[in-house]
Amino acid sequence: MKGASVQVEGYITLPVQLPSTPTFPKPATHYLYIRPHEPRIPDPDSARSLFIVNVPIDTTEAHIRHLFGTQLSAGRVEQVQFEDVPTKKRTAAADTDTNSNKKKRKRVTADDYQIYLDDINLPSTWDRKLQKSGAHAIIIFADKPSMETSLKAATKAAKRGTTIVWGKDLPAERIPALGLNRYVAHERLQYPDRGALLRSVNEFMTTFAAVAEARKREESKRLAEPDEDGFITVSHGPKLNSVAREDEMKELVDRQKKKQEGLEDFYRFQSREKRKERQNALLKRFDEDKKKLHDLKMRRGKIRPE
Amino acid sequence: MSAHTVKRRKLSPSPDNGVSSSHPNSSNDAKRTSNVTDKMDSKRQASRGKDERSAELAMASGFYKSSFFKLQMDELLMGLRPNYAKQVSKLQETLHQIKTAIENVPEKAAQSVSDAEKELRASGLVVPWPEPRPHKDVKYTMMYAKPANINVVGSFALKTGVRTLESRPVDLAVTMPNSLFQEKDYVNFRYFHKRAYYIASVAAGIQETVAALGFDVKFAPQDGDSLRPLLLLEPRQAESSQKSIRILLAIDPALFPITRTLPMKTNIRQGSSANSSEPGEPTSFYNASLRSDATVSLYHKSLYSASKKCESFSDACILGRTWLQQRGFHAPFQNGGFGGFEWTALLSLLFEAGGPSGQPVLLPSYSCYQIFKATIQFLAGRDLTNPLFFGQEVPVPSGVPVVFDGRSGLNILYKMSPWSYATLRHEAATTLKMLNESREDNFDKVFILKVDEPALRFDRLISFPRLFNGDTLRALHEQTELWQVISRALGDRVKLVSLASHPIDSWSVRSKPNKRSSQGVSVGLLLDAENVGRIVDHGPPAEEKEESASFRSFWGEKSELRRFKDGSILESLVWSDQSDESIIYQILEYILQRHLQLTTEDFGFMGDEYDQQLKNSGDGILAYSSPAFQSVNDAFKDLERSIRDMEEVPLTVRHLAPASPLLRYTALRPNGAADVVLQFESSSRWPDDFAAIQMTKVAFLLKIGDSLESTGAASSCRVGLENESSKVVNNTYLDIHHTSGVLFRLRIHHDREQILLERNLKDRTLSPREREEAAYALFAYKKSFVQTPRLTQSLRSLCTRFPLLSPTIRLTKQWFNSHLFNAQINEELIELLTIRAFTQPNPWECPSSVMAGFLRTLHSLSRWDWQQEPFIVDLGRELSPEVTENIRTRFAAWRNIDPAMNSLALFVASDVDPEGVTWTQYEMPSKVVAARMSSLAKAAVNLLRSQPHDMEVSDLFDTSLAPYDFVIHLRPKLFGNRSSVAKFKNLAEPRPEKMATVKSFVRDVQACYSQSILLFHGDERCSVIAGIWNPQTLKSRNWHLKTAFSTGPAADSNTQVSINKSAILNEIARLGHGLIESIEIHGAAE
Repeated sequence: MKGASVQVEGYITLPVQLPSTPTFPKPATHYLYIRPHEPRIPDPDSARSLFIVNVPIDTTEAHIRHLFGTQLSAGRVEQVQFEDVPTKKRTAAADTDTNSNKKKRKRVTADDYQIYLDDINLPSTWDRKLQKSGAHAIIIFADKPSMETSLKAATKAAKRGTTIVWGKDLPAERIPALGLNRYVAHERLQYPDRGALLRSVNEFMTTFAAVAEARKREESKRLAEPDEDGFITVSHGPKLNSVAREDEMKELVDRQKKKQEGLEDFYRFQSREKRKERQNALLKRFDEDKKKLHDLKMRRGKIRPE
Repeated sequence: MSAHTVKRRKLSPSPDNGVSSSHPNSSNDAKRTSNVTDKMDSKRQASRGKDERSAELAMASGFYKSSFFKLQMDELLMGLRPNYAKQVSKLQETLHQIKTAIENVPEKAAQSVSDAEKELRASGLVVPWPEPRPHKDVKYTMMYAKPANINVVGSFALKTGVRTLESRPVDLAVTMPNSLFQEKDYVNFRYFHKRAYYIASVAAGIQETVAALGFDVKFAPQDGDSLRPLLLLEPRQAESSQKSIRILLAIDPALFPITRTLPMKTNIRQGSSANSSEPGEPTSFYNASLRSDATVSLYHKSLYSASKKCESFSDACILGRTWLQQRGFHAPFQNGGFGGFEWTALLSLLFEAGGPSGQPVLLPSYSCYQIFKATIQFLAGRDLTNPLFFGQEVPVPSGVPVVFDGRSGLNILYKMSPWSYATLRHEAATTLKMLNESREDNFDKVFILKVDEPALRFDRLISFPRLFNGDTLRALHEQTELWQVISRALGDRVKLVSLASHPIDSWSVRSKPNKRSSQGVSVGLLLDAENVGRIVDHGPPAEEKEESASFRSFWGEKSELRRFKDGSILESLVWSDQSDESIIYQILEYILQRHLQLTTEDFGFMGDEYDQQLKNSGDGILAYSSPAFQSVNDAFKDLERSIRDMEEVPLTVRHLAPASPLLRYTALRPNGAADVVLQFESSSRWPDDFAAIQMTKVAFLLKIGDSLESTGAASSCRVGLENESSKVVNNTYLDIHHTSGVLFRLRIHHDREQILLERNLKDRTLSPREREEAAYALFAYKKSFVQTPRLTQSLRSLCTRFPLLSPTIRLTKQWFNSHLFNAQINEELIELLTIRAFTQPNPWECPSSVMAGFLRTLHSLSRWDWQQEPFIVDLGRELSPEVTENIRTRFAAWRNIDPAMNSLALFVASDVDPEGVTWTQYEMPSKVVAARMSSLAKAAVNLLRSQPHDMEVSDLFDTSLAPYDFVIHLRPKLFGNRSSVAKFKNLAEPRPEKMATVKSFVRDVQACYSQSILLFHGDERCSVIAGIWNPQTLKSRNWHLKTAFSTGPAADSNTQVSINKSAILNEIARLGHGLIESIEIHGAAE
């Protein structure tokens, strides 16, 4: 593999030795593909970020920090965003918050509660999550120079063929172990402590109620305010939620249909048409049968006993 | 084909109408067919009376099931009708030359037996004497004279034959002149000896001519009857298109009077050999055998006139022959004694009479299908052991079927034994049921499927490899005795005892027959599932002297007098249910030794080993009623009561539904948690938000747990979490350790979730990914909260209705296990695949053994063309034609939207789940795995066909690891010490956590490498995980961001990348550290 290009499609190909195990002693080299992060819609962080493809399945943030900070002795990593972990929504929401906060600073809005609510989760059952094979991640460095030196260091390492062992000398206490231990931990974490569960549930339910309360308040406030033309929208009655409305609509349609069916076979033309329909259906089916037979013959050849 | 419009004129028959003009026959036939099915008839009469839109309508409106049936039948007949004109022109010359050669055989004057034999031996011939051969000093003489007549007869001449792969021979009947015989020649084999000499003389006389024509000359028993050898001329080159020719002997019908050969006459008078019949006993087979030589021309004429009278006669014969052949019925008595001739002769008689009050069963106006169906109906309905006479009644033997044709003096069913007749009626009844079924068309099962495979057809098989049956009279005697002993010994434990053997092969005229070729009798048993396991047999009461004496003489020392609770004192037999051998085997072992001096070395027994296989892999459990399953069920009932009585929970319980294989008797081994689903009465207080619903569920589960612990129903409860990657799928459950020791896993079914998910699915403002997630969640919701409880409910009742269903499902699961399908195939799918063998057993009856159920399941899998057909299972609700139609439409829709079968390979629907994808969507299994399943099932059926009597059951369960690319061996310590398995049952079982660990590991690896690897793994006892690389990922490719597997630079290119196998295996090894012993790589390592 020596002498191979260190670049592919604009990515630097950085070889990394995977630590071998007694069960699979063959040495294995993993390849990371790295380039500056250039998303179609740049965000404030993209200038100081690297885009890395094909992370090993056991990659953690600690691994990435260790790789760039210690093993390549380059830039300091601030944050790693893995594929499949939804993060954008939150930052987008945070942005709008900062804008609106200028206007009405006093009240905590429903959206604020919602963000808070989204963070209340049931405890995780894994102490270490896995990445999908071939997955990518965005590495946000402390600053732009940090990112640039990291990229340079990676290029140099790739060119020289420096041996980098994945996760080597990474303090064991910083990342939970893989293998049987991880599964044993999973067995345990699957059944969280009763108190912890109860706490998350209570916290969630309280916040959930707060969100609902805040939304209701905002809604009534919005309704009470005159719009641009100075009108106030009047609403009344208990608001049906959309599901209930759907059900009602369905029922209405059904009733209408039933009504239409009402007088069958009353006029002569009705029964005549019905008969014709039946006959056509029969003929159609006969044609279908013929087609079926044709298909059958195409598939299995002649119809003959086994 | 253009769509038909509603316009009336289009419906009237017109020459340009494709339907009516191209199928004039089918319309006629359909019209006739309707006469038979009376219920359709009246409906049609009404519509016919009103308008004249005859032809197509008659055909189309006929009956639906039948329209497709009819089309298939036309095709079948077209393929099976021999082209007589072509054959006649090809054969005429040959037949003519043979005829001349026979006519030119020189006449020979009377001479003694030994002289005659010597003379023939000089020309190389061995006379095919029937047993017993004539004594050297018999007074009668042998002579040869020119035949009175030579004629082509049989199916070829009547045009009732079937074109098959091995072409039917042409029959040439040679009528021997009366001058050869004396008045009393019908006694003591004299006729048959003269006949043997005559056929040998013909053979000697024509052998040169025939050899020049390219034929080999052989002797063969006519219809397996060693009394009547015939000459078989076989084309020397097997591949030549030449037909073979049989030369049969016949005599003048009036040569021997009919009264002399009636069934109850005795014509073997002195015991000329030690084991022939006692003097005085009627020799009905012998008589009929002689008589049938005298009826050759009679039947030829009467069958000919029957075929002229009814135009569909020959087609009906083709259908009948095909039906018989698929069921293993042929003319020789060893193969049932009911072949093409018997079918044809029976039809011709049924045109005359046979109905309850003597009216004809068949009418000349019937279509071939009607003739076929009416005949099947006749065979199934009319018990012919209550004799049917055409003409004068004569005394006949009892217990055997009799259709006595007075004109010819022959019982045309004389070759049928009580067992073959019972088997024929059984088949006829099954077929009649299939023909009457409106739901399915069953054409394949009636005509196409070969259903005579003994292991598929019967529940137990006994084989007697050493019994000889080439000597007809002796074999008949021995087999009857065998049948009587077995039938009496097994009594109502069996529904049918059926014997089959094979006639002696044809042999060269220059040698003696090869007796080996006719060795071996096999017996098939159909069990009665209700009685088969009975431990104590009650005989007659002690006071009935005669009966008990007979009972004791039959059973010997096994019979003992016992007093029962009701005060009666009965002769009784007691069998063991603790033994590894089934009761059937114990009985046979005892009784065959006692009456026939057959030891276990003399016979083979098949069927028990499937039960044994199940016991070995299924914790020793066989029946659904075993304590292990019952205790889980009892615990469930108890839990249900406790849950209903809960007071601290604010909602009312609507339903606690079982949803686990443990609770539907289908778990291979009853361990692990039993899933149950709890549904509350609906309440408006539930939130309309997914996360909030999950949180509410947690709160409820905690409450339920507290309540169960406080009432003492559960020793401990804890809430567990699952599916944490998704917020819209169920996240929580409650593990309940019931006081009985059973572990339950309870989930809350909240039906609002479905509505919310459906709304998300339709919500266009959501991202495609969110909608996909909603689709998956909806799928998971229906599976775990709707379909699993429904399936469980259905199976609970089916398993009690069919006692063999539960063990069969469990053995089938073991089969899937041992072929490492566990990670790819849901066990519910296996259950559905197996149920069909019980609820839709056609073309057999519902199996009464694990063997039959299991092998039929494999058979149906091997024949399932899953790419083109849905698998439809009747779960005992209502599988109406409408539901079936609906299922087919859904199937077609799936194949339409996913033609490459990326998401869905198998489509398995039932009356409770017409959607058909519950257990198979999301690549469970993928098409690669589905194909492997099919090919393994095919291999199993082929193995069965190639070794019907000595297949090792374990061969079916052995899987080869060779086809996989790599094999991960798990650490043996995980599974406990293997050697202690037998001693300490509780220690042998791997701890439940370990079982879950391996499963989680497989799931992790499969999820990480979903694009590049396919993993195969068995159940918790399986110590290997096998994998294959997705062949599509193995090629080098251009670098792409979306390449969803680990790659490295390709060796031969600067711009391409290729899969990095060693890095992937390294990752797997590290992920499974502590679980894996070693990884073995097959084939060329890179």
